[in-house]
Amino acid sequence: MAKSMNLLWGSGSPPCWRVMITLEEKKLQGYKHKLLSFEKGEHKSQEVLEINPRGQLPAFRHGDNIVNESAATCLYLENEFKSQGTKLIPDSPAERALMYQRMMEGLTLTDKLNAVIYYEWFVPEGERHNSAVNRNKEALATELKLWESYLQKVSAGSYLAGAFSLADVIVFPNIAFAFRFGLSVGRYPNLAKYYRFLKDRASIKSSWPPQWLPSAQGFDNLKDL
Amino acid sequence: MAKDMTLLWGPGSPPCWRIMVALEEKGLQGYNSKMLSFEKGEHKSAEVMKVNPRGQLPSFTVGGTPLNESIGACFYLEDVYKSQGNKLIPDCPKEKAVMYQRIFEAMPLMDKMAIVVYYDYKVPEGERHDSAVKRNKETLTAELKLWEEYLQKTPGGFLAGKTFTLADVVLFPVIAYLFRMGLCEKRYPKLAAYHSALKDRPSIKTTWPPTWKENPQTQDTLKEM
Repeated sequence: MAKSMNLLWGSGSPPCWRVMITLEEKKLQGYKHKLLSFEKGEHKSQEVLEINPRGQLPAFRHGDNIVNESAATCLYLENEFKSQGTKLIPDSPAERALMYQRMMEGLTLTDKLNAVIYYEWFVPEGERHNSAVNRNKEALATELKLWESYLQKVSAGSYLAGAFSLADVIVFPNIAFAFRFGLSVGRYPNLAKYYRFLKDRASIKSSWPPQWLPSAQGFDNLKDL
Repeated sequence: MAKDMTLLWGPGSPPCWRIMVALEEKGLQGYNSKMLSFEKGEHKSAEVMKVNPRGQLPSFTVGGTPLNESIGACFYLEDVYKSQGNKLIPDCPKEKAVMYQRIFEAMPLMDKMAIVVYYDYKVPEGERHDSAVKRNKETLTAELKLWEEYLQKTPGGFLAGKTFTLADVVLFPVIAYLFRMGLCEKRYPKLAAYHSALKDRPSIKTTWPPTWKENPQTQDTLKEM
């Protein structure tokens, strides 16, 4: 099972982290994996392009089946291994609807975080504008306030859609990423609570980005949000 | 059942259209349906904001729970109504893997299309650059070539293999939109054949955007791609 799986990943990338959390939750430890470097451009190497012609990480193979796009990989794993490990899709239709809703909104959150944190990576020098930077920051602040409201009732065991689910698999890495980049704990207390409740969950702790460990100090891009 | 579902939608919008296709495929006709106008700003009306604080269409509720994210809604409908209507997730793991990946690849396809078609809408005047317009067109061209290749690999004529799946539910409306915007059929023969083969499928024909029926003339925006 796990031995026929291969994950190419990069450290600190929320999409890669989501897949690793799912593999842990579904008791698929023992999968083959290789850490690659975005800085060195290894995500565009032949090895990656053979699995993912988009030259993006995560790139994932299970036997002959390739499933890139992190949310796709997570859904594939939950459905193929439904009967083992943690149940990641709730039974009740109402919670399931909420889970799918938050899971997909997690992808919007990713885009808005990337637009701020990776602005200079995405936008060539001659096309950058302070007006765009400010607009992206405002859009991210509005988005984060929405997630604050979604997590008003967060408590131990009660997360984005009730019990820990694919919604949390998708979204937690984004929240951890936001705090790593300086998001204010004081201004986002519900997000901070959510982060604290989940950071020591076994699947999350064991897949924590390796380069985040030696220096607890992150960056401060988001400190004024 | 269908009577507990309400869809607020805008004509031609791929995310709205895909929920309508899914509802037809699952035999859930009879849902409450209201067409709204983007041009008149009705997506920002109180009626929509109540269900969707993002002020976006589709706004979809199932038994009172909002499930506005269209891909999430499609998964939910197939999950909960698995035993009725057409089976939209194949049993074969290989086809399932392809299906999941293609579904989430709809997002880069839509984003890349939108930044070309709606560049002036998305980018304020002072921030527009010819270099960006050129790059966006090149990026969309590369993306479309990828989808031509994908369709070459599935001789069954559907995106995931031999049968119509959620991948087609999610992607057909996007592909139809590309041709509505003037994409050249000769340059993209596989996409054109896909479009032509599926446009008369009952679930698609029934939900064809009314504004496109009233005015069948395509636009020129993507003619030169």
